[in-house]
Amino acid sequence: MGTMKTVEKIVNPRERVGEKSPGKIYTDKLKVRSRREWRGFRDTFYDYTRWCYLMFGVLGKFIMNPRNVKGFLRYRWMMSYLFVPHGMDKFTIGLRDEALRITHTAMNFVIADVTQAIYNCFRGDRRVGNDVKYSNECVITDENSMVTFMMGFDRDEVHTILREVPTMFASNIFHQFNVMHYLDVAQQNGIAGDVCPMPEAEAGISMDDDFCVLGCCAVQNNTTCDGSLMGNGIIAKRLERQYGIPTFQLATPLRHQEPDVLDYAAEQIKEAIAFVEEHTGAKWNWDIYFDCAKRVNYATKCRNAHLEINSTPYPQFFGAVFSLYNDTNYMGNSGRDPQFVKIDKKLLELAEKGYREKRMYAKEYRHRAVVWGVQPQYVIDMLYWLLQCWGIVPLTDMLSMIHSGMIAEEDTPENREQAYRDMATLNMEMIMRNHTHGGYDVLINDLWRTCEKMNADIAMMWEHMSCKALVGMHGMFEEMGRELGIHVMWVCHDLCDPRVYTRNAIRGQVNAYMRTVMREEPLDPSLENLPDDEAY
Amino acid sequence: MKKLVKIPLIVAGLGAGAFVGTFTMYMFNLDMKLMAVVAPLLEKWYDSRDHEFYL
Amino acid sequence: MRDLKHLIYFEDLLQTANNELIQKAKEKGGIAVAYTCENVPEPLLNLGKCFSIRLHAPQTGSMDIAAFYMTNLLCEPSRALLERAIEGGFNFADCVITPDGCTMMNRAVENMELLKTMGKDNPNFFHEYMEIAFKNTPADVDLSVLQCTNHILTPLHEKYGVDISDKAIRKAVEKHNKMVRVIREIGEFRKGDKPRITGYEFHVLCLATYVCPADLVMKKLEETLEELKTREPDDKPWRCKVLLVGSEVDDSGLIKLIEEQGAMVAADRFCFGSLPGRTEIVLNDEEDALTQVCRHYIEHCQCPRMMNQEKVYGRKQYVADLAKEYDVDGIIYQQVKFCDPWAYERVLGSHMLQEDYGYPVLSVDRPYNIASSSGQMRTRVQAFVESIEIKRIQKGGK
Repeated sequence: MGTMKTVEKIVNPRERVGEKSPGKIYTDKLKVRSRREWRGFRDTFYDYTRWCYLMFGVLGKFIMNPRNVKGFLRYRWMMSYLFVPHGMDKFTIGLRDEALRITHTAMNFVIADVTQAIYNCFRGDRRVGNDVKYSNECVITDENSMVTFMMGFDRDEVHTILREVPTMFASNIFHQFNVMHYLDVAQQNGIAGDVCPMPEAEAGISMDDDFCVLGCCAVQNNTTCDGSLMGNGIIAKRLERQYGIPTFQLATPLRHQEPDVLDYAAEQIKEAIAFVEEHTGAKWNWDIYFDCAKRVNYATKCRNAHLEINSTPYPQFFGAVFSLYNDTNYMGNSGRDPQFVKIDKKLLELAEKGYREKRMYAKEYRHRAVVWGVQPQYVIDMLYWLLQCWGIVPLTDMLSMIHSGMIAEEDTPENREQAYRDMATLNMEMIMRNHTHGGYDVLINDLWRTCEKMNADIAMMWEHMSCKALVGMHGMFEEMGRELGIHVMWVCHDLCDPRVYTRNAIRGQVNAYMRTVMREEPLDPSLENLPDDEAY
Repeated sequence: MKKLVKIPLIVAGLGAGAFVGTFTMYMFNLDMKLMAVVAPLLEKWYDSRDHEFYL
Repeated sequence: MRDLKHLIYFEDLLQTANNELIQKAKEKGGIAVAYTCENVPEPLLNLGKCFSIRLHAPQTGSMDIAAFYMTNLLCEPSRALLERAIEGGFNFADCVITPDGCTMMNRAVENMELLKTMGKDNPNFFHEYMEIAFKNTPADVDLSVLQCTNHILTPLHEKYGVDISDKAIRKAVEKHNKMVRVIREIGEFRKGDKPRITGYEFHVLCLATYVCPADLVMKKLEETLEELKTREPDDKPWRCKVLLVGSEVDDSGLIKLIEEQGAMVAADRFCFGSLPGRTEIVLNDEEDALTQVCRHYIEHCQCPRMMNQEKVYGRKQYVADLAKEYDVDGIIYQQVKFCDPWAYERVLGSHMLQEDYGYPVLSVDRPYNIASSSGQMRTRVQAFVESIEIKRIQKGGK
């Protein structure tokens, strides 16, 4: 056994402006916080203006449309969106300066994107807006799907609807209990309680008839896991047999590091494109594709630059917002929306400014952690808590460590063939599956390589108990971590079912590790135990 | 002339009032406290709806 | 019925993973090709001196060490296999070929590799992982051919000098078909009002063909087939006949338990079963054998990970066809605990077979080693048998 790695402790020379102990604003009397954090005049005012934007510019505008009110009353998951500002506050505990601005810039954009997705869903939904013409231009895709196969279609002509994102994935961030109903429905109908709750909840939503029904066709993908693949079968049955929406299964090879699967993966992309063309009547356009490819490459360059900054002593763009923004940018967007370029640029400028000014966002940086595994949606504030309570900087996470190479972006005959391979590669190496599948090397050794690159002394392991691909390597992480001198800190959870692991049970694992193994006291004791198990 | 002076004052007064109102709402989390009251009622509404299970 | 002459012999073979026939084959210079999934084309593992052994872990008790490596949340078969590998139970293997079929089994084998549980004294030992088809399209056949070439044939040839020619593949298929024909003929005796073989007996024989060198069980299988032709069936009828569907069953104790409740397991649509696992591979002379073998496996595959809708609905139709062919009164959909693919397939299958095809269905999950917790399963099966009998009475039958 080697000696355990240590990193240099850095003390923040600047005193934090405003509230010193944000733990005080949590209360068990209400299911929300007693008040918002005081961040000093400048940052509180900035936070207030962002709140105004969300309340009036996004949510207020949304609810003014009678169609959206109808949808709101029809779909249970819409209740989550009452708590969007509360959800936003989860991302900003203790943040000031550039990090606060980065978080708002990224998250506000993600929220606006999800709001637009709901708007689009309701517009075409047979039960709400029933805009038949619009619906006939829509292609439904999975929540966990890279939409690379849509990169060459004109966005004004064909609309990509990731209907599971607002329904399940995003809604759980704002309201921790909202998925439980769908899990109950799925289990009431016989699905075992030990499978991953995400595809299970999605199957439950389908069984409960709580998905919007729209689109001329649907494309499903075997993206993240066996459960995701299998849950799709249940969803496809309802889509096809009850609603008459033809559904294509885009098969994506699992062993994505092997060159002998690439041709097959590319062939599948071609088939998916042909399927969309057949059902929408739209034609694939290479000019549009290569424009998207340029934007994907720009997003990758920016992400690589953020990782570079995060490998220094002064990380800037970190926490759950980093992975959520990457999720949205890569999976939901795949270069199709030019607005992302502006946001990418702004985020990088802010991060570079923060780095130049050596901005720190806690009293001390005691440890540097690479976060591996899958984060639970209902404790989305965990990484900010980790920083504020224990001084552990979350440098990057597994979900953000996706394909880092460039794809072909010039329109040449060779590149058109290469483009199918690029789309296939992005698809195979999409968020999560690029580490949870493809052999143990990308799961285990990539973690150690990332720790090395980012100069981390802790591997914080989100152990999603129903994620078989991840927990199947539990012992190997333990043994190798010990050999390499990296602290492997396990934090077990059940992704979106707070009945299995409550928020405090999750944080308690870190508290126990830090006190017993590291023998440390918290930076901010007001945060150690928070009365928010029952909060939204 | 007096009217011309009054208009900006009224606008400024309304703006200040709106700011004080919304900032109070923001700072004391009144928006979310209200939603926390509304949500259980909505939940009852969703529960009361018929469900057509389909597998 | 009179006991089958070789039943105890076959039962004994199933008591340990490293059985006497494996040792015998190894002594004769055979190359033991271990595998873990029905999606691997078996004849390709039986080329030349190679013989295929599907890994199983009979008499599994504690899985504590495997639980350290894989937690106790992974399916029990995958943990049981890892535990057995760590104990040295699979030391006979000269290579392990694993498709990335279900994640858990794949992880089990990856742990075996990282822990170097096998091949310590064999410099030629290798692990290979394969991508396997998700759909039944020509592109999937191409993928399968490539994967079999790169991850089965080439390493076998390079490491052990195995003849991987078309001729050799055809010879292996011929051998495979011979065994399949015998098993299927034996399986036919499960049909009718007075079956000449029980589901348990059949499972023991069928299982032996997976976990022993097939060549070495052939003689006794053929003798058993002859014996069955004249075996006197019992007069006492079964309370009902059922079709058992679901995830892998390499523990004959499960079949025995079901039959002890009066429900004869007349057909076996599960991994390690004969339907469709023991189906003849028909080759023509026009196309190369490898492509035909791969296509056969893709077309006949009933694994829930096949994701296109034709396959999804086809699996239920296949179960309904078997139910009709074997004239069963009910269907048991079972799933080994923590198995993701079957957790969903069991639900969809049990609903469709009941609602769309009108069969009574029992849907249950179970432990890997049924002896570790038999009470719950016994109660569920008893209740199911009674419900079938009540339905029969209500319809005016006996």
